Amino acid sequence: MIKAVNLTKQLPNGKLLLNDISFEVRKGEFLGILGPSGAGKTLTLKSLIGLLDLTKGEVWIEESNNEHINIFKTKAKVLKKLRTKIALIFQGYHLVQRATAIDNVLMGRLGSISTFRSLIFGFNEIEKNAAMSSLEKVNMQHLAQAKVASLSGGEKQRVAIARALFQEPNLLLADEPISSLDPKNAKIIMGILKELSTLFPVIGVFHQPELCAKYCSRIIAIKDGKKVYDGPPVLEETLLEFIYGEELAIVIPEKYAN
Amino acid sequence: MQTSMFKKIVQIVAFLSFILVTYFAMQACGFKIEALQKGLKDGMFFLTAMFPPNWTDFKSMVAPALETLALSILGTLLGSLVSFIIAIFAASNISNKWVKLFIRSFISIERSIPELFILLILIAAYGLGALSAVLALMIGCIGMLGKLFADAIEETPTSLIESMKASGASKIQIIYYGILPDVFPKLISYALFRLEINIRLSVMLGAIGAGGIGFELDYAFSMLQYNRALSSLIMVLILVIGIEQLSAYIRKRLLINQI
Amino acid sequence: MKTFLMEHKRWFQTLLVLIGMFLLIQYLKIDITILFTDFHYVFELINEMFPPNFDVIWDNNTIFNSILQTISMAYLGTLIGGLIAFLFSIIASNNIFNFKLIGSIAKWVLSFIRVLPSLVVILIFVVAVGPGPFAGVLTIIFATIGTLGKLFTESLENLDPTSAQSLQSTGAHKLQTFKYAVWPEFVPAFISNLLYCFDINMRVAVGLGIFGGGGIGYKLYLAMRVLHYKDAVALIICIIILLLIIENLSNYLRHKILRN
Repeated sequence: MIKAVNLTKQLPNGKLLLNDISFEVRKGEFLGILGPSGAGKTLTLKSLIGLLDLTKGEVWIEESNNEHINIFKTKAKVLKKLRTKIALIFQGYHLVQRATAIDNVLMGRLGSISTFRSLIFGFNEIEKNAAMSSLEKVNMQHLAQAKVASLSGGEKQRVAIARALFQEPNLLLADEPISSLDPKNAKIIMGILKELSTLFPVIGVFHQPELCAKYCSRIIAIKDGKKVYDGPPVLEETLLEFIYGEELAIVIPEKYAN
Repeated sequence: MQTSMFKKIVQIVAFLSFILVTYFAMQACGFKIEALQKGLKDGMFFLTAMFPPNWTDFKSMVAPALETLALSILGTLLGSLVSFIIAIFAASNISNKWVKLFIRSFISIERSIPELFILLILIAAYGLGALSAVLALMIGCIGMLGKLFADAIEETPTSLIESMKASGASKIQIIYYGILPDVFPKLISYALFRLEINIRLSVMLGAIGAGGIGFELDYAFSMLQYNRALSSLIMVLILVIGIEQLSAYIRKRLLINQI
Repeated sequence: MKTFLMEHKRWFQTLLVLIGMFLLIQYLKIDITILFTDFHYVFELINEMFPPNFDVIWDNNTIFNSILQTISMAYLGTLIGGLIAFLFSIIASNNIFNFKLIGSIAKWVLSFIRVLPSLVVILIFVVAVGPGPFAGVLTIIFATIGTLGKLFTESLENLDPTSAQSLQSTGAHKLQTFKYAVWPEFVPAFISNLLYCFDINMRVAVGLGIFGGGGIGYKLYLAMRVLHYKDAVALIICIIILLLIIENLSNYLRHKILRN
């Protein structure tokens, strides 16, 4: 479970990038964050793991043992341990191109091994087998030894998800994970994300409201730094117009495309 | 039309000042065409006096040449290592703002110090010999490789670094597993390029105390042993051309294997 | 199972490199311990070098003249060298000049000039015209022909032939095609490379001071020769500032040209 409370980020010139955003996400929920460009979606996501310095606000994460931790007020060591259980995937360019798929998956657990151990000994057989099974879950085990540079966009995202799975996370965050994929692969990835939400909360930032409506269990809309919608994934045209304004024509080429 | 007249005047003034500047520059350098003409004759005569090269002289040039080669390779190797470490602090994606600014300025300043003077200072401290020469080459690499390496490191996408940070990886892990694998071919390519430069530098440094074939060349000239000078010259050419071809070949192979 | 993160392979490669370095150190008979035992000399040196004696710059006009001399050397070397390189490159590039044999010869000459190390060139010129900035300028001209010759030939050969071809199809002859189609496209690369070469030549000019090249490099060498370290440091700081200014100026102008 992750809870964001009054997230606020104000620039020195007074402009509010994030304005009092609060929400809570639990296991079983696949949350989609929508909004026009520059509204603050990615900033919200980054605040959830403490990669952004907030002017005001707290983020509470439930640890595996039911303890609640405020990530802005914990010691570095605790934060690092917390982070090993949080997975983050991006739109693209978040894998090491010259390394193989399985190498990239193994990198997910670097946080749990001391730097010394990882440099001298690498990973043991148990961990390597676990990495293989993560790849199996996304149907990529036959490409385990392939260099990431030779994979397609959809395959790369599946490797990224396998890396996230390998972390055995309590939370998965995704920043526009399907924006550079063709429709077929986009749907495959959305399907995987929806399945994963049964294991742990999944929060994704998307530019594709129609896919969100189909796969997410809940939607939050952010406009000009403020949360303007928080509810079930039913997107009527008036709501979309309210969220996106003139961008609507660009975001949805056809209504609720299947 | 007034504007085109104005333009014409500006052009004439620019042209005249250009001629003036060039004239003064020539004065400042003691540029004398007659000296050049006379010198050309002397030079030609002297060049012919250099031939034919002496085969036994040539054989004695092999050891100094190898010494220069070893010097350059070691200097470039050490220089690359040092430059890489410095470059990490100079890259905006994994270094903080102030450190990066400071280190980048340091790299720029180093680039402006001629390597010959770095060698002179080192000789003043450690005396003549290979140690000073290697250190001079190593430090000299920082100006160029520091900048090139840092730029290459900055090409690593921030999304990769952020995903690793988000999963709890330490800075060293991010550098070794995230940045190094993809940037490595570029590093080798730049290092080889610097090797070409360092070979020429070693020849120059040899003349002021680094030893090797540069020393032989300078010595032969100052002793007016022109045949010997020619042998050393030929050896230098072989060394320089050899390294350039090798470096170009390896770099081409690296480029092809980039996928 | 093989993975890239297989540390054994990485360790083996690192070991090879370390052994290589060790062998090279042995071959060169470098005694590493001297680095530490004689380290106090470095401190002694630093003591002698500070505080830097900036009076040496203000006291006599000669330093100012030396700076002008060095800049003039780089300027003339780049100018004349650039001109000659340009002429060579027109002959050498296979799309402008049509006498294949002469073109190949020109390419060969350019390669040869490029390979000659500057040490050799300056030694020869010092014999020919005596030590001093004149020998320095001639050396820089040579070096410039080498670098720019190659760069210019590549730029010319990489030019888009379409505008030249369209002009020729309307009946323009060689000289006209050159002036109106080739030259305008070539100018940005031409000026950019000249500025780049000027930056490099400034450093070369300073460096050649040692070999009797004149300019502020020579003054610095003299100061070090007579162990006037405080003067030397003042001069080095002067040189650093000079070269930094030139480098930034050159980069700025080249960016502006790229923009245009």
